[in-house]
Amino acid sequence: MFDLLVQGAPLFLTWQAIVLTAAGIIAGLFIGVLPGLGPLMGIVLLLPVAFHLPPIPAMAMLIAIYVGGSAGGSISAILLRIPGTPLAAATLFDGYPMAQKGRSQDAIGLAITASALGGLLAGLVLLFFSPILAAFALKFGPPEYTAMALLGLLTIAIVSEGSAIKGMIAGAFGLAIATMGTDEFTNAYRFTFGNFNLTSGPHIVPVVVGLFALSEVFFQIEGGKLLDSPQIQKLRISFRALRLITAHKVNLVRSALIGTFLGAIPGAGGDVSAFVSYAVAKRTARPEDGYGEGAEGGVVATEAANNGTCGGALIPSLSLGIPGDASTAVLLAALFLLGFFPGPELFRNNADIAGGIFIAYLVGNLVLLVAGIVLVPFFGSVLKLPKAWLLPIVLLLSTVGTYALQNSVFDLWVMLVFGAIGYGLRRAHYPLAPIIIGMILGPVLENNFRRSLLISRDGLSIFIERPTSAILLALAALLVAYVLFTVIRGPAKPDAN
Amino acid sequence: MNRIKPFAYDWIVWALFLALPLVIFWQSATSLADQGVAQGGPMENAALFPRMIAWGLLGLAILNAGRLMLGRIANSSPLTPTATTRLALVVSGCFVLYLLTLPYLGYHLTTPVLMALLLNLFGVGRLASLAGGVVMSLVTAAVFQGLLNVVLPVGIFEITGFG
Repeated sequence: MFDLLVQGAPLFLTWQAIVLTAAGIIAGLFIGVLPGLGPLMGIVLLLPVAFHLPPIPAMAMLIAIYVGGSAGGSISAILLRIPGTPLAAATLFDGYPMAQKGRSQDAIGLAITASALGGLLAGLVLLFFSPILAAFALKFGPPEYTAMALLGLLTIAIVSEGSAIKGMIAGAFGLAIATMGTDEFTNAYRFTFGNFNLTSGPHIVPVVVGLFALSEVFFQIEGGKLLDSPQIQKLRISFRALRLITAHKVNLVRSALIGTFLGAIPGAGGDVSAFVSYAVAKRTARPEDGYGEGAEGGVVATEAANNGTCGGALIPSLSLGIPGDASTAVLLAALFLLGFFPGPELFRNNADIAGGIFIAYLVGNLVLLVAGIVLVPFFGSVLKLPKAWLLPIVLLLSTVGTYALQNSVFDLWVMLVFGAIGYGLRRAHYPLAPIIIGMILGPVLENNFRRSLLISRDGLSIFIERPTSAILLALAALLVAYVLFTVIRGPAKPDAN
Repeated sequence: MNRIKPFAYDWIVWALFLALPLVIFWQSATSLADQGVAQGGPMENAALFPRMIAWGLLGLAILNAGRLMLGRIANSSPLTPTATTRLALVVSGCFVLYLLTLPYLGYHLTTPVLMALLLNLFGVGRLASLAGGVVMSLVTAAVFQGLLNVVLPVGIFEITGFG
């Protein structure tokens, strides 16, 4: 466990990596604060920048945005009753009432402190379990990888927001996009339609930026209120939360562990873990704690779980190559494009990179603890930024960032096309995360599937002859059976809005 | 008809997901067959995996069509424009125009214009839009060209800016 840290330390301990970790936390906090944006948007917007950097500083910056963005959403939830990200939706239960009672300073301080400490606890779990899981996965062969990739994709598709069947369609769509370009085994061109720009398939960055950033810009414009600027209470720097949180030690540890556990399950996500942690904290609290009326414990539970989820989601992502959510899927894509393959091989062949990433995650949470509190006065100013100024900036960063990847205007057209697709899919209530995860797992799934068939003497039977792949496929079959059952049973109750 | 309008976006997306497997089958039977990689063992058959996905997508699309026709979808998706949908479409049009002119006029001529135009369309005053557009473009160019050594489109006038 500590070997990894020792090997990764020289890579991380450079001015570039440390500065970019701090910059990533600050950028993540500001992006998280803005309603409608979030850690994923932050990672997406700065992904193209990462490819111009060395591997560890690049990953440190992106992971820091992930950590900062996950925490930042709580600030607008507390001040405006609008969660900056879906992750912070549960924080407004007690965060907003605290602000209404004139304790917005304490609420924000507690949210940031709980996020940072919850993230650090998750980091320790990540550090302990990832190498163990990776060592176990070293025994996997092509059939096991095929089954694992299929199960991972199915889990994410089914657990994602919206209906399970739409999640599965989105996942299959991602797999289909991944087949475009040159086939690795035959060197044949697949679905390139004679366009040389597609000989390597569409680059994942324009697809991600289009699906998430561009469609969001369109949504925000449609939402109107482009010049609105909310009234924010004056905020100042205060470290009082560090003392207040000592009264919630058990709640903090429990919530961070719930977040870590749920984060490690592909698809479960931070919003689920925040609600679960809140429910557990409320159930174990005394009536006089006043949950729902501005209880400190409510803010601690949701925020510790939120950032615990980040560490949890990194466990399957780094050790198995199966992303835990959309943000980690994009982080994995970044790692791929920087020349490293997440999974057991990362720990065996590039232990220094794995160690560097762990250190970046831990240091990111430490920086969050300080920067989150010191920058509090600025968050109010950021929240006052009208959409009329914010949206052109998002569009500009998306465009220049995407172009910069390969100096290609074609990539901008890909971004635009996927922006339109993303908009249509969101309007039709399809989850977008399975598309990205399908794109990432597609080559893993196909290569291992075809290799399995090659080593098999009896076609598909190889998948059930080997116990691990048989178990994983049985779980996948159970998930599909569950989806079919929900389809036959009928729809869930419509959303309240 | 009463099952189409409330689920308009669902049907549009459904058509996309129905078309996709058909494209895969068509390409497998034409382009991949012409390249001689549409059949054979797992290493020679580049159409094997895409066809499996296509069958899966087709099955899921049919299942989803059944849900739509029976009204077994929890959330409707009508084509209901908001007060600013027209603005969003105008912005999209501007962006398409920007992409068309970018290779010819270059970043430094097109981007400030696009940014200023967007700011103005969003309700920012003319002078502020102009200043905002120029500053946003220059700062972004300074970061990407100056710090990251990215060559932004120079266009026919070969304006390099910070490069």
